[in-house]
Amino acid sequence: MSELFGKYGLPLEVKFCKKCTMNNQRPSSTVEFKQKEGEKKRTLAFGEDGICEACKYAEKKKTINWEERHKQLEELCNRFRRNDGRYDVVVPGSGGKDSVQAAHILKYKYNMNPILITWPPALYTDIGRRNFDSWLNAGFANYTYNQNKKLHRFLTRSAFLNLGHPFQPFILGQKNLAPRLSVLLDIPLVIFGENEAEYGNAIEDNEKPTRDPKYYSAELSIKDLVLGGVSAIELIEKYGFKLSDLEAYFPVNPYEIQKTGTEVHYLGYYVKWHPQETYYYSVENSDFMPNDHRTEGSFSKYSSLDDKIDWLHYHTTTIKFGIGRATYDSAQEIRNGDITREEGIALIKRFDGEFPEQYIKDCCNYMDISLQQYHDAIEKFRSPHLWEKNYGTWELKYPIWKEKK
Amino acid sequence: MRTRIIVKLDVKPPYVVKPVHFEGLRKIGLPVDLAKKYYNQGADEVMYIDIVASLYQREILFDEIEKTANELFIPFGVGGGIKTIEDISKLFHSGADKIAINTYAVQENSEILNEAAQIFGNQAVVVNIEAKKWDDWYECYTDCGRIRSGKNVIEWAKEVEARGAGEIFLQCVDTDGRQRGFDIELSKQVVDSVNIPVVVASGAGKLEDIKELIEYARPSGIALSSLLHYDKYTIKDIKEYLRSNGIEVSK
Amino acid sequence: MSNIIGLINYGIAGNIHSIKKAIEKAGGVVKIVNNENELNSIDKIVIPGVGSFKDAINELRKDGLLEPLKKAIHTKPTLGICLGMQILSTLGFEYGKTQGLDAIKAEVKPMLVDAKVPHMGFNTIDVVKSNLLLNGLENEEFYFMHSYEVINYTEIASLSDYAGHTFVSSVQKENIYGVQFHPEKSRDAGLKLFKNFIEL
Repeated sequence: MSELFGKYGLPLEVKFCKKCTMNNQRPSSTVEFKQKEGEKKRTLAFGEDGICEACKYAEKKKTINWEERHKQLEELCNRFRRNDGRYDVVVPGSGGKDSVQAAHILKYKYNMNPILITWPPALYTDIGRRNFDSWLNAGFANYTYNQNKKLHRFLTRSAFLNLGHPFQPFILGQKNLAPRLSVLLDIPLVIFGENEAEYGNAIEDNEKPTRDPKYYSAELSIKDLVLGGVSAIELIEKYGFKLSDLEAYFPVNPYEIQKTGTEVHYLGYYVKWHPQETYYYSVENSDFMPNDHRTEGSFSKYSSLDDKIDWLHYHTTTIKFGIGRATYDSAQEIRNGDITREEGIALIKRFDGEFPEQYIKDCCNYMDISLQQYHDAIEKFRSPHLWEKNYGTWELKYPIWKEKK
Repeated sequence: MRTRIIVKLDVKPPYVVKPVHFEGLRKIGLPVDLAKKYYNQGADEVMYIDIVASLYQREILFDEIEKTANELFIPFGVGGGIKTIEDISKLFHSGADKIAINTYAVQENSEILNEAAQIFGNQAVVVNIEAKKWDDWYECYTDCGRIRSGKNVIEWAKEVEARGAGEIFLQCVDTDGRQRGFDIELSKQVVDSVNIPVVVASGAGKLEDIKELIEYARPSGIALSSLLHYDKYTIKDIKEYLRSNGIEVSK
Repeated sequence: MSNIIGLINYGIAGNIHSIKKAIEKAGGVVKIVNNENELNSIDKIVIPGVGSFKDAINELRKDGLLEPLKKAIHTKPTLGICLGMQILSTLGFEYGKTQGLDAIKAEVKPMLVDAKVPHMGFNTIDVVKSNLLLNGLENEEFYFMHSYEVINYTEIASLSDYAGHTFVSSVQKENIYGVQFHPEKSRDAGLKLFKNFIEL
């Protein structure tokens, strides 16, 4: 028996997790540097009991011996700690709560000497910039790779127009920069914030502390690489971009990784990850500030604050998968025991899918498109099995607040 | 006049929580236990706010409130999600002595203040203000310090006084939960702009913060949360400290 | 001897929950009085108060309690709290002129003072005519919450000071007592006052 599929290979029937507010339209992490148009997505898996993978992982988290994991982190740090004053761990981030906590914990609890590295957002928000400064003001140095802006804008625009995924160029660099700098700076240990499996990617990804190298290294030839839906060859030959600038978006050569002995770990494996508690940690141990007001499309003020493109990103996920920021945020908070499912549904009903009014103009200018072009382009990506037009407005066919009991 | 020492309970029923900058739902304990704890420490009043009722667009949970009011022989103020006169009436019947209102009055219908003051008396009507600082002005926020209103705090304070509110409960989004001190400028501006009592909350981290606020802004009362929830000081400690610094407080 | 304390419930404004709890904590038995019949079955009267003078009188009239109460307070020990004390007066000036229960020769007028109004918070009382109700409470603090005050010269039991302004904080005429403050919100001092009332 095979399921019928809609656009992106999404299941036609929308099913909601019984515990959280996430549904089966949610795609898992993609190997971004190969993503092409029209690809079929792997989606969030559900058990026979109607509970999603992420919730199952959350249950499992309760049984983990965190004291044990803390010891493992200690051992890891002992292995890589340098006592000659040199940096001994690369901590990627941008000053958001996760990287603030990671840097602080590694320095003060595990006695390491972190160097912070940043793949900066395309368009920093005010709050993002302020938090970046606070991050460094806490006493850390930082390497920021400022992308060739002409290229980055081109890729963002292409990714949006071709894939409906303007966030792709950012995600590419974010995953690759830390291993790349690990090699360049000869600091083998890299520690990222939480693990994506927290949100429902392959649960096996969570059984080990390290990120699967397939996400950041590949023995690939240039002809296999696709960025923003455009092949690397075309980027060089047709659009005149240089390999040197494109390299930042490519996966790292696995040989280099091996030579340096690079290991990419998740802090989320060693420390019980609870985003709200990470927020508390940040405000209690640094000058980190939440957003100046509710983040559009959601109800919260503490996560994903620094990139204006992020606002668009959630709008595109709404169009493509019917899942907006409020759904993502509420699902996470439900799993961590902060809110109940009913409360999550009320918040989704109120805020999910909100048009990103605040930064749409800035983002459109950045991508060199008009607002009308934005709306036209976005329609290409709307999944017909999820949306219907009622009295001239697009509405979800199966929103969670109309869920059949 | 004795400065009142009030405890603020931010409630996400059934728990008291302690947000920072009106974000975060870290659980502290049960309202009935904490109210009792602070009553025994010498609190002059308890202010119970259901911080998510408006945000979640949920009805008021009267049972939770009634449970908390048990055995509390000091004024019990209650706010969170009030939209109608009937809500207010039911709150009084659930044990509230004063009611606090913000979101509905700011975003939808400020007439409710006039009505409530007329029916219940202005001393029972408290306006909760969540102030957010911009460069040269303060804005009224609603829905647990999340949604802008475009209203100027000082103008709103004067307006609510004219409409019959008997007290202002002033919180500050920029300082709340951070324990780095109050926004004393904001406090003074609001206290000086109206003739009704103003209770100032948000930001106490040290005893000196409280003293500085009282001496500079002269509020009728100060409200505390983090300082007490994290057991940094008891209300007794605070009153003793203030007394020894020449500030009048109740016994 | 029967010692049931009747708590007058009038209209939507009366805050009786806290008072009932406080009297019971002090050892009393409370019965809520909603109508004339119930008024006849109790031994002592407590008149609570949240709201306006005008509305209070109107509600009492609507519930058929106004005239019976006017009579009953002269035969049974009565305690008026806050607005409950204010309506014992002859005349109230809140939202126009309203006639009160006329138990004491007094008028209720807005409090004019060089400080924040309403008068809100703990304050002491200065007992000028000691009585059983205030017995042992001379140096205690009570919670005040009012914008109006009772102007009376002949039934003063205690005075209080607010920002240099002296006002009547409690009255007494024979078996009728009135307190401007809220004993049910005044911690142990308030409970003691209720105990005194119960033992009258």
